[in-house]
Amino acid sequence: MGKAKQVRVTGRVQSAVLRFIQKNGISILTVIILLIAWQVLVDALKIKKYILPSPKLILNTFIDPRLAAKNKWWRHIFATTSGVLGSFGLTIVAGVAIAVFLTWSKTANRLVMPILVLFNSIPKIALAPLFLLWLGYGVFPNIMIAFMVAFFPVVINATTGMQAVDDDLLDLVRYLNASKLQIFLKIRIPNSLPYIFAGIRTSATMCVVGVLVGEFIASKRGLGYLLRDAQAFIDMPTMFACLVVLAILGVSFFGIISLVERIVMPWRFTPANAGE
Amino acid sequence: MKAAITVKNKKKPRRLSQRLQSIGAVFLFFLVWEAVVRIANINEAFISTPSSAIAHLLFAQPDANYHWQKNISVTLYEFVLGFLFTAVGGTLIGILIGWSKTIQKAVMPLFVMFNSIPMVAIAPILLIWMGYGLKTNILIAFLASFFPMVINTSAGLASVEDDLLDLVRYLNGSKWQTFWKIRLPSALPYIFSGLKICTTLSVMGVIVGELIASDSGLGYVIVNAQLMMDTPPMFASLIMMSLLGWGMFLIVSIVERLAMPWAFKDEIQ
Repeated sequence: MGKAKQVRVTGRVQSAVLRFIQKNGISILTVIILLIAWQVLVDALKIKKYILPSPKLILNTFIDPRLAAKNKWWRHIFATTSGVLGSFGLTIVAGVAIAVFLTWSKTANRLVMPILVLFNSIPKIALAPLFLLWLGYGVFPNIMIAFMVAFFPVVINATTGMQAVDDDLLDLVRYLNASKLQIFLKIRIPNSLPYIFAGIRTSATMCVVGVLVGEFIASKRGLGYLLRDAQAFIDMPTMFACLVVLAILGVSFFGIISLVERIVMPWRFTPANAGE
Repeated sequence: MKAAITVKNKKKPRRLSQRLQSIGAVFLFFLVWEAVVRIANINEAFISTPSSAIAHLLFAQPDANYHWQKNISVTLYEFVLGFLFTAVGGTLIGILIGWSKTIQKAVMPLFVMFNSIPMVAIAPILLIWMGYGLKTNILIAFLASFFPMVINTSAGLASVEDDLLDLVRYLNGSKWQTFWKIRLPSALPYIFSGLKICTTLSVMGVIVGELIASDSGLGYVIVNAQLMMDTPPMFASLIMMSLLGWGMFLIVSIVERLAMPWAFKDEIQ
Protein backbone atom coordinates (compact mmCIF):
# COMPACT_ATOMS: atom_id res chain seq x y z
CA MET A 1 0.00 0.00 0.00
CA GLY A 2 2.89 2.27 0.83
CA LYS A 3 4.18 1.75 -2.66
CA ALA A 4 0.81 2.54 -4.23
CA LYS A 5 0.72 5.80 -2.28
CA GLN A 6 4.20 6.66 -3.41
CA VAL A 7 3.29 5.99 -7.01
CA ARG A 8 0.24 8.17 -6.65
CA VAL A 9 2.30 10.99 -5.17
CA THR A 10 4.98 10.80 -7.85
CA GLY A 11 2.22 10.58 -10.41
CA ARG A 12 0.72 13.76 -9.04
CA VAL A 13 4.06 15.50 -9.04
CA GLN A 14 4.66 14.33 -12.60
CA SER A 15 1.30 15.59 -13.78
CA ALA A 16 1.90 18.92 -12.05
CA VAL A 17 5.26 19.22 -13.81
CA LEU A 18 3.64 18.25 -17.10
CA ARG A 19 0.92 20.81 -16.63
CA PHE A 20 3.51 23.46 -15.83
CA ILE A 21 5.46 22.62 -18.98
CA GLN A 22 2.31 22.56 -21.03
CA LYS A 23 1.28 25.95 -19.75
CA ASN A 24 4.66 27.69 -19.85
CA GLY A 25 6.47 25.54 -22.42
CA ILE A 26 6.56 28.15 -25.16
CA SER A 27 7.77 30.92 -22.85
CA ILE A 28 10.47 28.73 -21.28
CA LEU A 29 11.61 27.79 -24.78
CA THR A 30 11.67 31.46 -25.79
CA VAL A 31 13.83 32.37 -22.83
CA ILE A 32 16.26 29.52 -23.51
CA ILE A 33 16.51 30.37 -27.21
CA LEU A 34 17.09 34.04 -26.40
CA LEU A 35 19.84 33.17 -23.92
CA ILE A 36 21.59 30.89 -26.43
CA ALA A 37 21.26 33.51 -29.18
CA TRP A 38 22.71 36.12 -26.83
CA GLN A 39 25.68 33.90 -25.97
CA VAL A 40 26.34 32.95 -29.60
CA LEU A 41 26.04 36.52 -30.87
CA VAL A 42 28.38 37.92 -28.24
CA ASP A 43 30.93 35.18 -28.98
CA ALA A 44 30.62 35.43 -32.74
CA LEU A 45 30.79 39.22 -32.97
CA LYS A 46 33.46 39.36 -30.26
CA ILE A 47 31.52 42.04 -28.37
CA LYS A 48 33.64 43.47 -25.58
CA LYS A 49 32.43 42.53 -22.14
CA TYR A 50 32.19 46.17 -21.06
CA ILE A 51 29.66 46.71 -23.84
CA LEU A 52 27.54 43.61 -23.49
CA PRO A 53 28.61 40.67 -21.33
CA SER A 54 27.61 37.17 -22.34
CA PRO A 55 25.27 35.13 -20.12
CA LYS A 56 28.24 32.91 -19.22
CA LEU A 57 30.20 35.86 -17.85
CA ILE A 58 27.16 37.06 -15.92
CA LEU A 59 26.69 33.63 -14.38
CA ASN A 60 30.39 33.61 -13.59
CA THR A 61 30.02 36.56 -11.20
CA PHE A 62 28.02 34.25 -8.93
CA ILE A 63 30.03 31.05 -9.44
CA ASP A 64 33.65 32.14 -9.62
CA PRO A 65 34.65 32.19 -5.94
CA ARG A 66 36.99 35.15 -6.40
CA LEU A 67 34.39 37.30 -8.15
CA ALA A 68 31.60 36.23 -5.81
CA ALA A 69 33.73 37.11 -2.78
CA LYS A 70 34.59 40.48 -4.28
CA ASN A 71 30.97 41.34 -4.89
CA LYS A 72 29.80 40.21 -1.42
CA TRP A 73 26.49 39.13 -2.86
CA TRP A 74 24.83 38.03 0.38
CA ARG A 75 25.59 41.26 2.14
CA HIS A 76 24.06 43.36 -0.63
CA ILE A 77 21.13 41.06 -1.23
CA PHE A 78 20.43 41.05 2.50
CA ALA A 79 20.54 44.85 2.66
CA THR A 80 18.18 45.30 -0.27
CA THR A 81 15.82 42.57 0.86
CA SER A 82 15.58 43.92 4.37
CA GLY A 83 15.00 47.40 3.00
CA VAL A 84 12.23 46.19 0.73
CA LEU A 85 10.59 43.95 3.34
CA GLY A 86 10.89 46.59 6.04
CA SER A 87 9.26 49.29 3.94
CA PHE A 88 6.68 46.86 2.62
CA GLY A 89 5.67 45.73 6.12
CA LEU A 90 5.52 49.30 7.32
CA THR A 91 3.43 50.25 4.30
CA ILE A 92 0.87 47.53 4.91
CA VAL A 93 0.58 48.02 8.67
CA ALA A 94 0.39 51.80 8.51
CA GLY A 95 -1.79 51.73 5.39
CA VAL A 96 -4.42 49.43 6.82
CA ALA A 97 -4.37 51.07 10.26
CA ILE A 98 -4.90 54.51 8.79
CA ALA A 99 -7.59 53.17 6.46
CA VAL A 100 -9.47 51.78 9.48
CA PHE A 101 -9.17 55.14 11.19
CA LEU A 102 -10.36 56.99 8.10
CA THR A 103 -13.36 54.71 7.69
CA TRP A 104 -14.14 54.91 11.39
CA SER A 105 -14.39 58.68 11.43
CA LYS A 106 -16.16 60.49 8.60
CA THR A 107 -14.63 63.85 9.50
CA ALA A 108 -11.10 62.47 9.37
CA ASN A 109 -11.91 60.89 6.05
CA ARG A 110 -13.11 64.16 4.56
CA LEU A 111 -10.09 66.02 5.88
CA VAL A 112 -7.34 63.54 5.11
CA MET A 113 -8.44 61.66 2.01
CA PRO A 114 -8.01 64.58 -0.44
CA ILE A 115 -4.50 65.12 0.90
CA LEU A 116 -3.65 61.45 0.44
CA VAL A 117 -4.99 61.51 -3.10
CA LEU A 118 -2.95 64.62 -3.83
CA PHE A 119 0.24 63.07 -2.50
CA ASN A 120 -0.46 59.88 -4.39
CA SER A 121 -0.25 61.77 -7.65
CA ILE A 122 3.03 63.54 -6.84
CA PRO A 123 6.33 62.02 -8.02
CA LYS A 124 7.51 61.57 -4.45
CA ILE A 125 10.70 59.81 -5.45
CA ALA A 126 12.08 63.29 -6.12
CA LEU A 127 12.13 63.84 -2.36
CA ALA A 128 14.62 61.02 -1.79
CA PRO A 129 17.51 63.50 -1.41
CA LEU A 130 15.49 65.31 1.25
CA PHE A 131 15.34 62.12 3.31
CA LEU A 132 19.11 61.83 3.13
CA LEU A 133 19.28 65.35 4.47
CA TRP A 134 16.96 64.41 7.33
CA LEU A 135 18.05 60.91 8.19
CA GLY A 136 21.55 60.41 6.81
CA TYR A 137 22.88 57.27 5.16
CA GLY A 138 21.91 53.67 5.74
CA VAL A 139 19.15 51.12 5.55
CA PHE A 140 16.69 53.13 7.65
CA PRO A 141 16.51 56.17 5.33
CA ASN A 142 16.06 53.77 2.42
CA ILE A 143 13.14 52.16 4.20
CA MET A 144 11.61 55.58 4.79
CA ILE A 145 12.08 56.61 1.14
CA ALA A 146 10.44 53.41 -0.06
CA PHE A 147 7.68 53.80 2.52
CA MET A 148 6.96 57.34 1.34
CA VAL A 149 6.76 56.19 -2.26
CA ALA A 150 4.72 53.04 -1.65
CA PHE A 151 2.43 54.05 1.21
CA PHE A 152 -0.31 55.96 -0.59
CA PRO A 153 -1.76 53.31 -2.93
CA VAL A 154 -2.35 50.96 0.01
CA VAL A 155 -4.15 53.53 2.19
CA ILE A 156 -6.29 54.80 -0.63
CA ASN A 157 -7.21 51.33 -1.85
CA ALA A 158 -7.90 50.00 1.65
CA THR A 159 -10.11 52.97 2.50
CA THR A 160 -12.00 52.66 -0.77
CA GLY A 161 -12.52 48.96 -0.15
CA MET A 162 -13.76 49.44 3.39
CA GLN A 163 -16.28 51.99 2.19
CA ALA A 164 -17.41 50.00 -0.84
CA VAL A 165 -19.59 47.81 1.32
CA ASP A 166 -23.11 47.07 0.21
CA ASP A 167 -25.40 49.48 2.08
CA ASP A 168 -28.07 46.82 2.49
CA LEU A 169 -25.58 44.56 4.21
CA LEU A 170 -24.66 47.33 6.64
CA ASP A 171 -28.33 48.02 7.32
CA LEU A 172 -28.95 44.38 8.02
CA VAL A 173 -26.05 44.08 10.42
CA ARG A 174 -26.98 47.31 12.16
CA TYR A 175 -30.48 45.98 12.53
CA LEU A 176 -28.97 42.92 14.20
CA ASN A 177 -27.23 45.22 16.68
CA ALA A 178 -23.69 44.62 15.50
CA SER A 179 -21.04 46.79 17.09
CA LYS A 180 -18.79 49.03 15.04
CA LEU A 181 -15.86 46.71 15.75
CA GLN A 182 -17.82 43.71 14.54
CA ILE A 183 -18.77 45.53 11.37
CA PHE A 184 -15.09 46.14 10.74
CA LEU A 185 -13.89 42.65 11.49
CA LYS A 186 -16.66 40.73 9.76
CA ILE A 187 -17.67 42.97 6.89
CA ARG A 188 -15.49 45.94 6.10
CA ILE A 189 -12.05 44.34 6.31
CA PRO A 190 -12.93 41.14 4.39
CA ASN A 191 -14.65 43.30 1.79
CA SER A 192 -11.60 45.50 1.42
CA LEU A 193 -9.14 42.63 0.97
CA PRO A 194 -9.29 42.55 -2.85
CA TYR A 195 -8.72 46.31 -2.89
CA ILE A 196 -5.90 46.05 -0.39
CA PHE A 197 -4.16 43.39 -2.44
CA ALA A 198 -4.49 45.49 -5.58
CA GLY A 199 -2.83 48.33 -3.65
CA ILE A 200 -0.19 45.96 -2.30
CA ARG A 201 0.75 44.86 -5.81
CA THR A 202 1.31 48.46 -6.86
CA SER A 203 3.22 49.32 -3.74
CA ALA A 204 5.40 46.19 -3.88
CA THR A 205 6.99 47.46 -7.09
CA MET A 206 7.29 50.93 -5.62
CA CYS A 207 9.02 49.59 -2.50
CA VAL A 208 11.72 48.04 -4.66
CA VAL A 209 12.11 51.22 -6.70
CA GLY A 210 12.25 53.35 -3.56
CA VAL A 211 14.90 51.21 -1.91
CA LEU A 212 16.94 51.07 -5.11
CA VAL A 213 16.87 54.82 -5.62
CA GLY A 214 17.83 55.32 -2.00
CA GLU A 215 20.76 52.98 -2.50
CA PHE A 216 21.72 54.73 -5.73
CA ILE A 217 21.86 58.14 -4.17
CA ALA A 218 23.61 57.34 -0.94
CA SER A 219 24.36 54.02 0.62
CA LYS A 220 27.24 51.68 1.20
CA ARG A 221 25.17 48.53 0.91
CA GLY A 222 22.56 46.93 -1.24
CA LEU A 223 22.17 46.04 -4.88
CA GLY A 224 21.62 49.67 -5.84
CA TYR A 225 24.99 50.53 -4.31
CA LEU A 226 26.60 47.53 -6.03
CA LEU A 227 25.19 48.68 -9.36
CA ARG A 228 26.63 52.16 -8.90
CA ASP A 229 29.92 50.75 -7.67
CA ALA A 230 30.18 48.41 -10.66
CA GLN A 231 29.26 51.32 -12.92
CA ALA A 232 32.28 53.24 -11.66
CA PHE A 233 34.52 50.33 -12.69
CA ILE A 234 32.55 49.64 -15.91
CA ASP A 235 32.06 46.13 -14.55
CA MET A 236 29.19 45.16 -16.85
CA PRO A 237 28.90 41.47 -15.86
CA THR A 238 28.28 42.44 -12.24
CA MET A 239 25.69 45.02 -13.26
CA PHE A 240 23.78 42.51 -15.33
CA ALA A 241 24.08 40.00 -12.51
CA CYS A 242 22.47 42.60 -10.22
CA LEU A 243 19.57 42.85 -12.67
CA VAL A 244 19.21 39.06 -12.62
CA VAL A 245 19.14 39.03 -8.82
CA LEU A 246 16.63 41.88 -8.79
CA ALA A 247 14.42 40.01 -11.27
CA ILE A 248 14.54 36.86 -9.15
CA LEU A 249 13.79 38.86 -6.00
CA GLY A 250 10.94 40.65 -7.78
CA VAL A 251 9.38 37.48 -9.15
CA SER A 252 9.57 35.65 -5.82
CA PHE A 253 8.24 38.72 -4.02
CA PHE A 254 5.21 38.75 -6.32
CA GLY A 255 4.86 34.99 -6.02
CA ILE A 256 4.70 35.23 -2.25
CA ILE A 257 2.12 38.01 -2.45
CA SER A 258 -0.07 35.90 -4.77
CA LEU A 259 0.28 32.96 -2.42
CA VAL A 260 -0.74 35.04 0.59
CA GLU A 261 -3.64 36.42 -1.42
CA ARG A 262 -4.85 32.88 -2.06
CA ILE A 263 -4.53 31.94 1.59
CA VAL A 264 -6.21 35.08 2.92
CA MET A 265 -9.07 35.16 0.43
CA PRO A 266 -9.75 31.51 -0.43
CA TRP A 267 -13.27 32.36 -1.56
CA ARG A 268 -11.96 34.33 -4.53
CA PHE A 269 -10.02 31.34 -5.83
CA THR A 270 -12.67 28.65 -5.72
CA PRO A 271 -13.04 26.86 -9.07
CA ALA A 272 -16.13 28.92 -9.87
CA ASN A 273 -14.10 32.14 -9.69
CA ALA A 274 -10.88 30.74 -11.07
CA GLY A 275 -11.21 32.76 -14.24
CA GLU A 276 -10.82 36.08 -12.45
CA MET B 1 -34.73 52.08 7.83
CA LYS B 2 -35.84 55.47 6.59
CA ALA B 3 -32.39 56.89 7.24
CA ALA B 4 -30.86 54.22 5.11
CA ILE B 5 -33.03 55.16 2.15
CA THR B 6 -32.12 58.83 2.33
CA VAL B 7 -28.43 57.91 2.52
CA LYS B 8 -28.78 55.96 -0.69
CA ASN B 9 -30.50 58.76 -2.52
CA LYS B 10 -27.98 61.31 -1.37
CA LYS B 11 -25.13 59.68 -3.25
CA LYS B 12 -25.42 61.45 -6.60
CA PRO B 13 -25.88 65.20 -6.11
CA ARG B 14 -23.01 65.81 -3.68
CA ARG B 15 -20.35 66.13 -6.38
CA LEU B 16 -19.66 69.87 -6.42
CA SER B 17 -19.77 70.37 -2.68
CA GLN B 18 -17.55 67.34 -2.26
CA ARG B 19 -15.03 68.78 -4.65
CA LEU B 20 -15.01 72.10 -2.79
CA GLN B 21 -14.55 70.21 0.45
CA SER B 22 -11.55 68.36 -0.96
CA ILE B 23 -9.93 71.57 -2.14
CA GLY B 24 -10.59 73.07 1.28
CA ALA B 25 -8.95 70.12 3.01
CA VAL B 26 -5.83 70.35 0.85
CA PHE B 27 -5.67 74.10 1.39
CA LEU B 28 -5.99 73.57 5.15
CA PHE B 29 -3.16 71.05 5.07
CA PHE B 30 -0.76 73.49 3.44
CA LEU B 31 -1.91 76.25 5.79
CA VAL B 32 -1.13 74.05 8.81
CA TRP B 33 2.23 73.13 7.33
CA GLU B 34 3.08 76.80 6.77
CA ALA B 35 1.94 77.75 10.26
CA VAL B 36 3.82 74.93 12.02
CA VAL B 37 7.10 75.67 10.26
CA ARG B 38 6.79 79.38 10.93
CA ILE B 39 5.70 79.14 14.56
CA ALA B 40 8.25 76.46 15.46
CA ASN B 41 10.79 78.54 13.53
CA ILE B 42 12.25 75.53 11.72
CA ASN B 43 15.36 76.23 9.69
CA GLU B 44 15.01 76.18 5.90
CA ALA B 45 17.90 73.75 5.75
CA PHE B 46 15.53 71.20 7.28
CA ILE B 47 12.14 71.85 5.73
CA SER B 48 10.75 74.64 3.65
CA THR B 49 7.37 76.34 3.93
CA PRO B 50 5.06 75.95 0.94
CA SER B 51 5.06 79.71 0.42
CA SER B 52 8.84 79.86 0.35
CA ALA B 53 8.94 77.06 -2.23
CA ILE B 54 6.52 78.94 -4.47
CA ALA B 55 8.44 82.15 -3.96
CA HIS B 56 11.63 80.43 -5.02
CA LEU B 57 9.88 79.26 -8.13
CA LEU B 58 8.37 82.60 -9.09
CA PHE B 59 10.86 85.25 -8.01
CA ALA B 60 14.59 85.60 -8.49
CA GLN B 61 16.46 84.81 -5.29
CA PRO B 62 19.30 87.04 -4.12
CA ASP B 63 21.66 84.24 -3.07
CA ALA B 64 21.29 81.69 -5.85
CA ASN B 65 20.12 81.33 -9.43
CA TYR B 66 18.26 78.13 -10.11
CA HIS B 67 17.81 78.64 -13.89
CA TRP B 68 14.21 77.53 -13.65
CA GLN B 69 13.37 78.17 -17.26
CA LYS B 70 16.18 76.01 -18.58
CA ASN B 71 15.76 73.20 -16.05
CA ILE B 72 12.00 73.04 -16.41
CA SER B 73 12.18 72.93 -20.18
CA VAL B 74 14.81 70.16 -20.06
CA THR B 75 12.64 68.01 -17.80
CA LEU B 76 9.53 68.81 -19.81
CA TYR B 77 11.30 67.81 -23.03
CA GLU B 78 12.58 64.52 -21.60
CA PHE B 79 9.24 63.69 -20.04
CA VAL B 80 7.13 64.45 -23.09
CA LEU B 81 9.39 62.52 -25.45
CA GLY B 82 9.74 59.56 -23.09
CA PHE B 83 6.01 59.45 -22.60
CA LEU B 84 5.27 59.74 -26.32
CA PHE B 85 7.64 56.90 -27.16
CA THR B 86 5.92 54.76 -24.55
CA ALA B 87 2.44 55.74 -25.65
CA VAL B 88 3.08 55.01 -29.32
CA GLY B 89 5.58 52.15 -29.02
CA GLY B 90 3.91 50.45 -26.09
CA THR B 91 0.48 50.53 -27.69
CA LEU B 92 1.78 49.29 -31.05
CA ILE B 93 3.76 46.43 -29.55
CA GLY B 94 0.85 45.60 -27.26
CA ILE B 95 -1.37 45.36 -30.35
CA LEU B 96 1.25 43.25 -32.13
CA ILE B 97 1.37 40.86 -29.19
CA GLY B 98 -2.37 40.81 -28.77
CA TRP B 99 -2.80 40.07 -32.48
CA SER B 100 -1.99 36.40 -32.24
CA LYS B 101 -2.41 33.96 -29.41
CA THR B 102 0.90 32.20 -30.14
CA ILE B 103 2.98 35.35 -30.02
CA GLN B 104 1.18 36.31 -26.86
CA LYS B 105 1.97 32.97 -25.24
CA ALA B 106 5.62 33.18 -26.24
CA VAL B 107 6.33 36.80 -25.44
CA MET B 108 3.93 37.77 -22.67
CA PRO B 109 5.74 35.94 -19.85
CA LEU B 110 8.95 37.64 -20.97
CA PHE B 111 7.28 41.01 -20.69
CA VAL B 112 5.83 40.14 -17.32
CA MET B 113 9.29 39.08 -16.19
CA PHE B 114 10.85 42.31 -17.45
CA ASN B 115 8.06 44.15 -15.74
CA SER B 116 9.09 42.65 -12.42
CA ILE B 117 12.62 44.05 -12.76
CA PRO B 118 12.53 47.57 -11.39
CA MET B 119 13.42 49.47 -14.56
CA VAL B 120 15.32 52.15 -12.69
CA ALA B 121 17.95 49.47 -12.03
CA ILE B 122 18.86 49.63 -15.72
CA ALA B 123 19.73 53.31 -15.40
CA PRO B 124 23.40 52.73 -14.43
CA ILE B 125 23.87 50.39 -17.41
CA LEU B 126 22.34 52.97 -19.73
CA LEU B 127 24.74 55.53 -18.29
CA ILE B 128 27.66 53.37 -19.39
CA TRP B 129 26.20 52.77 -22.83
CA MET B 130 25.07 56.30 -23.60
CA GLY B 131 26.67 58.63 -21.09
CA TYR B 132 24.48 61.06 -19.19
CA GLY B 133 22.16 63.57 -20.78
CA LEU B 134 18.84 64.08 -22.45
CA LYS B 135 18.82 60.87 -24.48
CA THR B 136 19.60 58.67 -21.49
CA ASN B 137 16.85 60.22 -19.37
CA ILE B 138 14.34 59.88 -22.19
CA LEU B 139 15.26 56.22 -22.50
CA ILE B 140 14.95 55.66 -18.75
CA ALA B 141 11.52 57.32 -18.78
CA PHE B 142 10.55 55.16 -21.74
CA LEU B 143 11.73 51.92 -20.13
CA ALA B 144 10.14 52.74 -16.79
CA SER B 145 6.72 53.01 -18.40
CA PHE B 146 6.96 50.81 -21.49
CA PHE B 147 6.17 47.38 -20.07
CA PRO B 148 3.00 48.30 -18.16
CA MET B 149 1.75 49.94 -21.35
CA VAL B 150 2.37 46.82 -23.45
CA ILE B 151 0.82 44.54 -20.85
CA ASN B 152 -2.25 46.75 -20.46
CA THR B 153 -2.81 47.03 -24.19
CA SER B 154 -2.57 43.33 -24.90
CA ALA B 155 -4.68 42.52 -21.84
CA GLY B 156 -7.29 44.88 -23.25
CA LEU B 157 -7.21 43.18 -26.63
CA ALA B 158 -7.59 39.82 -24.94
CA SER B 159 -10.55 41.05 -22.88
CA VAL B 160 -13.05 40.87 -25.75
CA GLU B 161 -15.97 38.58 -25.15
CA ASP B 162 -15.59 35.33 -27.04
CA ASP B 163 -19.26 35.31 -28.03
CA LEU B 164 -18.83 38.63 -29.80
CA LEU B 165 -15.84 37.33 -31.72
CA ASP B 166 -17.76 34.19 -32.66
CA LEU B 167 -20.63 36.29 -33.91
CA VAL B 168 -18.38 38.39 -36.12
CA ARG B 169 -16.63 35.31 -37.44
CA TYR B 170 -20.03 33.87 -38.23
CA LEU B 171 -20.85 37.05 -40.15
CA ASN B 172 -17.62 36.62 -42.13
CA GLY B 173 -15.85 39.62 -40.60
CA SER B 174 -12.24 39.90 -41.71
CA LYS B 175 -9.42 40.04 -39.20
CA TRP B 176 -9.04 43.77 -39.82
CA GLN B 177 -12.71 44.40 -39.30
CA THR B 178 -12.72 42.40 -36.11
CA PHE B 179 -9.76 44.42 -34.94
CA TRP B 180 -11.07 47.90 -35.79
CA LYS B 181 -14.69 47.42 -34.89
CA ILE B 182 -14.50 45.12 -31.92
CA ARG B 183 -11.15 44.43 -30.37
CA LEU B 184 -9.70 47.94 -30.43
CA PRO B 185 -12.80 49.70 -29.04
CA SER B 186 -13.04 47.22 -26.21
CA ALA B 187 -9.31 47.57 -25.51
CA LEU B 188 -9.49 51.37 -25.32
CA PRO B 189 -10.34 51.56 -21.59
CA TYR B 190 -7.30 49.39 -20.86
CA ILE B 191 -5.09 51.46 -23.14
CA PHE B 192 -6.13 54.70 -21.51
CA SER B 193 -5.73 53.38 -17.98
CA GLY B 194 -2.27 52.21 -19.08
CA LEU B 195 -1.49 55.68 -20.41
CA LYS B 196 -2.57 57.24 -17.14
CA ILE B 197 -0.29 54.92 -15.17
CA CYS B 198 2.50 55.75 -17.60
CA THR B 199 2.28 59.50 -16.98
CA THR B 200 3.35 58.86 -13.39
CA LEU B 201 5.93 56.24 -14.31
CA SER B 202 7.64 58.31 -16.96
CA VAL B 203 7.88 61.36 -14.70
CA MET B 204 9.49 59.04 -12.17
CA GLY B 205 11.89 57.67 -14.78
CA VAL B 206 13.01 61.14 -15.83
CA ILE B 207 13.52 62.19 -12.23
CA VAL B 208 15.54 59.11 -11.33
CA GLY B 209 17.72 59.66 -14.38
CA GLU B 210 18.28 63.26 -13.39
CA LEU B 211 18.94 62.36 -9.77
CA ILE B 212 21.61 59.82 -10.66
CA ALA B 213 23.48 61.74 -13.32
CA SER B 214 22.73 64.89 -15.24
CA ASP B 215 23.76 68.50 -15.50
CA SER B 216 20.34 70.03 -15.95
CA GLY B 217 16.68 69.42 -15.22
CA LEU B 218 14.57 69.53 -12.08
CA GLY B 219 16.14 66.39 -10.62
CA TYR B 220 19.51 68.06 -10.97
CA VAL B 221 18.17 71.08 -9.10
CA ILE B 222 17.08 68.76 -6.28
CA VAL B 223 20.45 67.03 -5.98
CA ASN B 224 22.23 70.36 -6.06
CA ALA B 225 19.88 71.80 -3.44
CA GLN B 226 20.55 68.81 -1.20
CA LEU B 227 24.28 69.49 -1.34
CA MET B 228 23.61 73.14 -0.43
CA MET B 229 21.14 72.14 2.33
CA ASP B 230 18.65 74.40 0.62
CA THR B 231 15.18 72.84 0.84
CA PRO B 232 12.89 75.43 -0.85
CA PRO B 233 14.11 74.69 -4.39
CA MET B 234 13.62 70.99 -3.69
CA PHE B 235 9.95 71.52 -2.95
CA ALA B 236 9.69 74.01 -5.81
CA SER B 237 11.02 71.33 -8.18
CA LEU B 238 8.57 68.84 -6.74
CA ILE B 239 5.72 71.27 -7.43
CA MET B 240 6.86 71.69 -11.03
CA MET B 241 7.22 67.93 -11.53
CA SER B 242 3.74 67.36 -10.16
CA LEU B 243 2.37 69.98 -12.53
CA LEU B 244 4.04 68.25 -15.47
CA GLY B 245 2.58 64.90 -14.46
CA TRP B 246 -0.89 66.35 -13.88
CA GLY B 247 -0.79 68.22 -17.17
CA MET B 248 -0.05 65.04 -19.10
CA PHE B 249 -2.71 63.18 -17.10
CA LEU B 250 -5.21 65.88 -18.04
CA ILE B 251 -4.29 65.63 -21.72
CA VAL B 252 -4.69 61.85 -21.62
CA SER B 253 -8.10 62.24 -19.92
CA ILE B 254 -9.26 64.70 -22.59
CA VAL B 255 -8.11 62.42 -25.39
CA GLU B 256 -9.85 59.55 -23.63
CA ARG B 257 -13.14 61.46 -23.67
CA LEU B 258 -12.73 62.26 -27.35
CA ALA B 259 -11.71 58.73 -28.28
CA MET B 260 -14.47 56.92 -26.46
CA PRO B 261 -17.38 59.28 -25.88
CA TRP B 262 -19.70 56.37 -25.18
CA ALA B 263 -18.01 55.69 -21.85
CA PHE B 264 -18.82 59.18 -20.55
CA LYS B 265 -22.43 59.40 -21.65
CA ASP B 266 -23.80 59.10 -18.13
CA GLU B 267 -21.67 61.88 -16.78
CA ILE B 268 -22.76 64.52 -19.26
CA GLN B 269 -26.44 64.18 -18.49
